Amino acid sequence: MRRTPLRLASTLAAAALLGLAGCGGDDSEDSGGDTAGKTGGTATAYYTSFPDYLDPALTYTAEGWQAMWTVYTPLVTYAHVEGVEGAKLIPGLAEALPEVSDDGKTYTLKLRDGLTYSDGTQVKASDAEHAIKRVLNLESGGSGFFQGIEGAEDYLEAGKASADISGIETDDATGEITYKLVEPDGTFPFALSMLFAAPVPSDTPFSNQTKNPPPGVGAFKITEVDGTRGFTMAKNAEFPEIEGVPAAKLDTLEVTVVKEARRQGQDILDNKVDYIVDPPIGEQLREIRTAAKDRFSEHTTLSTYFMFLNTREAPFDKKEVRQAVNYGLNKPALARLFSGLLAPSCNFLPPEMQGYEKLEPCPYGDPNAEPDLAKARQLIKDAGAEGAKVTVWGNDEDETREVTTAFADQLSAIGLDAKPRIVSGEVYFSTIGNEKTKAQAGFTNWFGDFPHPANFLFLMDGNSIQPTNNVNFSNVDDPEINDTLAEIGQNPDLAAVASQYAALDKRVVEEAYIAPYGNRKLTLVTSDRMAFDDIVWHPLFLADFSTFALKE
Amino acid sequence: MAIVALAAGAPLYAEHVANTTPERNNLTGKIVVDGETRDVVSLDGIPVGPTWQREYLLGADANGRDVAVRLLYAARNSLFIGLTAALITTLLGIALGLLAGYYRGATDWVISRAMDVLWAVPVLLLGVALGVALTLGGLKIGPLEIRGGSLWIPALIIGVVSVVYLARPLRGEVLRLREQEFVEAARAQGASGPRIMVSEILPNILTTVLVFFPLLVANAVLLEAALSFLGAGVQEPAPSWGLMIGSGIKVLITQPALTIAPGVMLVLSVLSLNVVGEAVREAINPRARVRLEQ
Repeated sequence: MRRTPLRLASTLAAAALLGLAGCGGDDSEDSGGDTAGKTGGTATAYYTSFPDYLDPALTYTAEGWQAMWTVYTPLVTYAHVEGVEGAKLIPGLAEALPEVSDDGKTYTLKLRDGLTYSDGTQVKASDAEHAIKRVLNLESGGSGFFQGIEGAEDYLEAGKASADISGIETDDATGEITYKLVEPDGTFPFALSMLFAAPVPSDTPFSNQTKNPPPGVGAFKITEVDGTRGFTMAKNAEFPEIEGVPAAKLDTLEVTVVKEARRQGQDILDNKVDYIVDPPIGEQLREIRTAAKDRFSEHTTLSTYFMFLNTREAPFDKKEVRQAVNYGLNKPALARLFSGLLAPSCNFLPPEMQGYEKLEPCPYGDPNAEPDLAKARQLIKDAGAEGAKVTVWGNDEDETREVTTAFADQLSAIGLDAKPRIVSGEVYFSTIGNEKTKAQAGFTNWFGDFPHPANFLFLMDGNSIQPTNNVNFSNVDDPEINDTLAEIGQNPDLAAVASQYAALDKRVVEEAYIAPYGNRKLTLVTSDRMAFDDIVWHPLFLADFSTFALKE
Repeated sequence: MAIVALAAGAPLYAEHVANTTPERNNLTGKIVVDGETRDVVSLDGIPVGPTWQREYLLGADANGRDVAVRLLYAARNSLFIGLTAALITTLLGIALGLLAGYYRGATDWVISRAMDVLWAVPVLLLGVALGVALTLGGLKIGPLEIRGGSLWIPALIIGVVSVVYLARPLRGEVLRLREQEFVEAARAQGASGPRIMVSEILPNILTTVLVFFPLLVANAVLLEAALSFLGAGVQEPAPSWGLMIGSGIKVLITQPALTIAPGVMLVLSVLSLNVVGEAVREAINPRARVRLEQ
């Protein structure tokens, strides 16, 4: 569960999961060419920075996930399609979605027959346990997702890689895999869909394998890693037929690290590279939007940007003041600070995810319109908060400084006396997450790890409040939210409880526990050589490399 | 003098010419340039460049703030911090130089070793460390309380970390003066140490202080810009040349004015302060005066 890409404008490093809420939305501008792609050939791509790891047990960045999703297929995965359909679970290496016991604690899956890794080795059920052991043993950023498995804590305490995790039972003969949880957890199937849980051969060492990534079951295999300068992906001839998971069209995809954003933008304009991961910047973005519009599109991510309003600190302990902030926030203005790559929104949950229901009308007015300053000022006056001193917290990364400054200006415009306070990005979240800081309001955002509302709404769960490293920055402790989350959070059938998640989303907004203002957008831009219309923009894993193809 | 005049005139320019304040954001505003209506900040997030007219003379920054107005207010902040820091350095430097040089022995040893330690730590590093700490929590010593975002914080930090530049030469000067006959005479008349330091030695080191003062101001202005650039000096939304350079450097190629304008102001002000310092030195240096008279 990660919060934000550190340098999203120029690099997606550190984004946990930039899930796209599909490009079927109104912000998507797919107007690409009409040439279908061919099979074969080599394409090139630029990354701004090398992925954190090229090891499925460790990678926890957008760059890593985007590439590795087409190299490692977990037991449960997502169809390689756009929009909300791409955010629904389908069987991956398992024959079917997991069967869940009546008490919600046991998940059982069966491996497909005849699966082999890209090196020809047979996939075994016990490889699934090996994958989880590697995640835990290597203290991966994803280990928290699997510590709810029975025996996982004991495994960690034992500190022995070869030790057993009592809650995972596998049978190589039948291919059956069973996970037993300590407590029911409705999000567990989504955890199994993460790359962390993707099976790898059981002789894969308990160490970082970035220099020599283990074989996987995927459309591609990584054939060469050139230090931190780039890597090469080649079509996996051993890839089996899995419904919803396509084989690669390209023979080879060569990924090179190019740090200079301007060179990236110029090279894509000049067709010197076929794909760039990060959005072009400044004038180049403007130029590409017009000059290369047939090979450019924008997509809203599975993310929410919002201002936290600490309900334990004056003046935000008053609902009227929090509502005034929501009335007074100028969302279209803030979108300009993101070069237009922010879709103004009213909900806390991002769109096109199960559980999302657009709040229409938005209680605070159209998020794409100018704010209602008169109403905001009146609410501040009614609450007796005129001139109340407010420190608005933000960090010094990318556009956050400017956004925080704009927040403070907008809060002052509705009658508060607000000043920004900018601290280093490295200590920002630990600073505002420390109760001693008593941070009143400030910048924050959340990028979902998977398309499940619980992965967002836990930020509003009173039970998640802690004195240090708190992520419930508004200190929301609403019994209705707490109780409902505890109840529906156990249900693995997301469709059955989606409306209840939507109701919680609405309550968060109506009670103005936060001031959401938008969902981050990313761009898809390719060279003229690419069959642009063939490319699938996946809600979670961005541009799908397995759908990359050169024009006929 | 011109920079002082510009700084003093900043509010007049902001209110009567540019019709804004240094802190007012204008992200969705529009401006007419050469008869054409333009966004102050475009939908792409690109701020308007220099218009060479009353409003947005030097263009806008990312938040739609008038760069020219911020530039002038930044001059006020830089001069305030520069002068205040130099005063703090001067007061501390004089006190420490007098004590160390006059009393010698253990007092001198303690002060000199403290100066050695201060000298050994890079000033910028020390400034950043103090700046980050104090910006977060502010400063409270007894009844004295300074809030985190106050301009007094960088002034105080710079004033303290620069003290070694003045205290050391003054100590040497005092060591020399305390052996002079007029000090011996005062001592023979029964004057106490503090009295001798204040009435006999201090007037004789003031010329050195006067020469150093403009240079200390120039140094403080530079250090303030560096600290602000690194996020440990002046805090948003207050303008500072260092902050402006820090923001502008991200768009240096497409909007160079955002970086060049504060950079030029910084160079000019430091140059002019150095010229003032040199003029003071020449004015009070007898040899220089003789040379001029010849």
